[in-house]
Amino acid sequence: MARPPPTPLFVLRGSGAPINTLHFSCQEPSSALLFSGSGKGAIHVWNLHTRRAERVLEGHGGSSIVWVNTIGSKETLISQARDKRLCTWNLSEGRSDVTQSIFTGSVGFCQGSVMEMHPQRWLLAYPAEDMEELVELPSGVPVCSLKPDAKLGMLMCVKLWQPDGGCGPMLLAGYEDGSLALWDVAQRQILSRLTTHPEPLLCLDFDPVGLRGVSGSAERAVSSWVLDGQQNLQLRDTVELVNPGISQLRLRMDRRILASAGWDHRIRLFSWKKLKPLAVLQYHTDTALCVTFSDHKDSRLGLMAAGSKDQRISIWSVYNDS
Amino acid sequence: MEAQRSETEVRLEVNRCIRTISTSRDAVEVVASLRTLAGYLPDGPHARASASEREEFDRAHYTMVLKVLVGGLHADWRQRLTSAEHTELWGAFFLQGPPDQALLVIMDCIGTIGQSSGQDKMVDILELYLQNGRVGALLWSRCQGPGSPDSPQLRETLLGRMVSLPDLMANRLYPHNRPLFLSAQYYSLLAQEFKFALDKTCKALKDGQDCSLRFVAQLLGKTCVQGHSEHLFKDLVPHLSASTRSDMVWQRVCWRLMEDIPDRWMESVVTGLVQVVTGPAALARILGNLVVKNKKSQFVLTHKLLLLQYKYETCVLRTLLGYLAQDRERRPLLIQVLRALCQAWSSSSSVRHTPVEQQLYLSRALLLCVSLLSEAELQELRAELMQCMLGGMQCHLDSNVVRIRRIGMVVGECLSSRLNTQEARLKFEYEQDEETKELVSMMDPFPPEDAVLTDSDDELTPYDMSDDREMTKSAPPRYIRDCLEGLIFSEDPTRVELSLQAAEGLVRKNPSAAREVSVELTKVLLHLEDKYSTPSFLALRQAAMVALAVVDSIPVAEYLTTEFYSVNYSLRQRMDILEVLALSAQELSKPIAEQGRPSLPPSAAVTLVDPQSVPSNWRQVVEQRIQIGLRCFGAPAPVTATPNRYASVAGFFFFPLLQSYDRPQVTFDLLGSDHLVLGRLVHTLGLLMHLAVNAPVATQMGRSLLDFVWAIRYHTDQVVRQGVLFSVCAVFLSMPGQCLLAELSDHLLETRAWLADVAEGDADADCRTLAMQALVLLDKSLRTQLEPSALDLKS
Repeated sequence: MARPPPTPLFVLRGSGAPINTLHFSCQEPSSALLFSGSGKGAIHVWNLHTRRAERVLEGHGGSSIVWVNTIGSKETLISQARDKRLCTWNLSEGRSDVTQSIFTGSVGFCQGSVMEMHPQRWLLAYPAEDMEELVELPSGVPVCSLKPDAKLGMLMCVKLWQPDGGCGPMLLAGYEDGSLALWDVAQRQILSRLTTHPEPLLCLDFDPVGLRGVSGSAERAVSSWVLDGQQNLQLRDTVELVNPGISQLRLRMDRRILASAGWDHRIRLFSWKKLKPLAVLQYHTDTALCVTFSDHKDSRLGLMAAGSKDQRISIWSVYNDS
Repeated sequence: MEAQRSETEVRLEVNRCIRTISTSRDAVEVVASLRTLAGYLPDGPHARASASEREEFDRAHYTMVLKVLVGGLHADWRQRLTSAEHTELWGAFFLQGPPDQALLVIMDCIGTIGQSSGQDKMVDILELYLQNGRVGALLWSRCQGPGSPDSPQLRETLLGRMVSLPDLMANRLYPHNRPLFLSAQYYSLLAQEFKFALDKTCKALKDGQDCSLRFVAQLLGKTCVQGHSEHLFKDLVPHLSASTRSDMVWQRVCWRLMEDIPDRWMESVVTGLVQVVTGPAALARILGNLVVKNKKSQFVLTHKLLLLQYKYETCVLRTLLGYLAQDRERRPLLIQVLRALCQAWSSSSSVRHTPVEQQLYLSRALLLCVSLLSEAELQELRAELMQCMLGGMQCHLDSNVVRIRRIGMVVGECLSSRLNTQEARLKFEYEQDEETKELVSMMDPFPPEDAVLTDSDDELTPYDMSDDREMTKSAPPRYIRDCLEGLIFSEDPTRVELSLQAAEGLVRKNPSAAREVSVELTKVLLHLEDKYSTPSFLALRQAAMVALAVVDSIPVAEYLTTEFYSVNYSLRQRMDILEVLALSAQELSKPIAEQGRPSLPPSAAVTLVDPQSVPSNWRQVVEQRIQIGLRCFGAPAPVTATPNRYASVAGFFFFPLLQSYDRPQVTFDLLGSDHLVLGRLVHTLGLLMHLAVNAPVATQMGRSLLDFVWAIRYHTDQVVRQGVLFSVCAVFLSMPGQCLLAELSDHLLETRAWLADVAEGDADADCRTLAMQALVLLDKSLRTQLEPSALDLKS
């Protein structure tokens, strides 16, 4: 008889709005933080020890926050909202100043993606009106715009990654027509395209080591695909789900566990190697909107957080024993 | 004339030396005589005799000399020899002369003298004899020339000694036996010597010399027939298989060897060989066309191993049938085997009277055979195969045993897919398990290599995911009457499903409300059809009915038991009734204290009533209890009785089921064709009886149950017989001892005889075990009853 599924470690309440996005900052376990972006424009900074919101940042005029992330340390925050703006924040020494504000022009739900290129220099990809824009941070110098030739529809999700072997950064982008494109940022062109879903592609995550990724959409399936030696995307197997709709897919840093946030209120865990279903976590009472894993250096302390339309954030500790 | 002279001279000299050795006390003189005799040995520093002299010595005097040497084991002169001299002048005689005579003398000697330093000496010599490859020399000496000139007695003695050397040594030397004489080591040594002798034979044949393998073949046969084929072939067969791969002479030697094996030993050699050899090609290289030439081996390979025995692994079957299929001359035998297998598989009597394991074995062989047929042969045999398939499937599907039915389905599917390449194929719905997968894999003539175990991510154990169901839009009913309504009137699949899912919980949550509608709801549930393919429909329905029977036992039990014998129910419904009765009785019989929480946790309830696992599940439970019961009987401490809710209502569950079993109706003939239900009924009655332990009504129940099962104890269906034996066990366990004795008094001996008979001879393993248990229970309870004083004394 299999073990009963685990329950949340604890639950963070009080955001007062649906939780759209979550981001951990746990490099220093003594002051582990969780950032959450709500549907009413507030960014909550949760202290994971006191389990209370340390601060609430309001900088997007009440527009729904789409994405939050930090660069470098927990002191510099990026937030993206549906007021068509993307802000960087300086949070050091108790400040909460917007240092930079970029007009994106995108009203979609596509979250940005950030990647460290060189020490203290980051590359940020964010959606613009009908293209991806890439800028360098913290300078804010535009790098390039990637606009597909063919009509693929609205941009739905992006993921920047750096391949091994000295090539330039790559960008995986999912589009409204259910296709997935691999951009070579340096050459500004699409290397490969693959239609993974009949419905708009809602979320993706990619494992740059195993060159394998997954994507989800509004259907009952998670598709997995690989990048072969010729930079071609190829479809692999799909995992059937009980209920349709996936808001977010996240791969844990140790590349063992994949988590999905589903429209059926449930968080599902899969083993990354074979996409074997491992657990179905039922806690939320409304659509789960986001799920993320912590960046603890000690993997035994690792946490998973899930945010839902029911305004709660559930914190879990799963498969940390080994 | 020359020969005559040398013969006499040799005799005179040898006799003189022997006399000296046996009578003289002068060491110098003895050593001189030994040196003279050593001159006749083929090797060594003293060798000087001519070939004809040596031959004469070997023929007429060698054994004599050895016997004298053995006789001088304790003589003074032996103590004076240095160890080098000892080896040279004493040991050398045993290790250099004709090996057969040496072996016989050594073994005789060890056999006759008791444990002493002399025996130790001889054992040392025997060890040296084996280690120096003298057995190989012996074998080779028998291979040379056109045939052995030995007398049959000598040959038999020699064979006997060689084959049973480990036994003889163990008997004589215990507890100081030497490792070399243990069977595993000795027979692998023997295998080495076989290799040596056969190697030499091959070389000799290539040089144009005549050889005879008769003795080697006899030794091989005798070793196998004494049951040592495993050790022997473990080393020998891989060598034969490798040597015959490229060398035609080796192949011919092997074939000859096999043909020379006497008929009476053929079977054990062939069976041993088939089990060890890897793959049909190797078997063909070693056996050649023996199966065509030799009647005995043909019988073993084409009949006995396939149709009479069933203990062999699948790879043995593959090897054997592949061997038959490989050669044009052997091919007709494959067809003949296939016909026999077809006949056996489709015979209803064999399905009924042979163990399941044998049928599985037979089915494997049949499918393997079919997979080996060529298209032309398939066309030719099409009609026969079709007939076999249809007849066989009928009698398999007719069986009460799930495994047999499943075998029938799998074999039917496989046969039909082989027969009809394009048109309609049979397709059954059965649960895949290891067994069915293995059967299906028989159709693939090349077995898959063992899949390389990829590094699995099994270190991550999944959590229970049974609650991961589809989300529903509408809300489940909150009151039992809504639920009832939903089940009766609703045309909406979701509502029916939700009502069904909620039913058990509602019944348990509010028993008083449930009592008002219990019979009505039971009736609705019993007649409910799975119109919308609701997931786990049967389980949910059953759980709800069980809950009703628990909450409102008497009316629901009365209703269900009446309905069991009424007309117009399907077999499935009748079986459902029995299952519900059994499960609810089981729940009611739990001690009252334990039932503080009325409802089971939902996940536990779901597993409990999984429709497939229910029968086996409760049977397992009960069998465990019987085991526990047995243990309790073994210890004098009685089972502690705890009050439960079942005791007071047991009669309502039990007696109505016994009312009209012998009144056949148009649609339901319990004692006739509906033995499926009969089997379940008997099991259920046994369970109800068992649960009623310590209840006041148990005596009457036991009496009626014994009456009932007595009539059907020789039923042809094994499931019914199992049920009968199970019921008997339950009665023996639950009925108070003194009542049991009074009840059985007339039939006691007959019952015992019957049980003993079943325990010994029933085809079904479960029946045998159950009968054993019943016998033990009966004996225990009789002993307790008949010897009350003994019990008192003990306590």
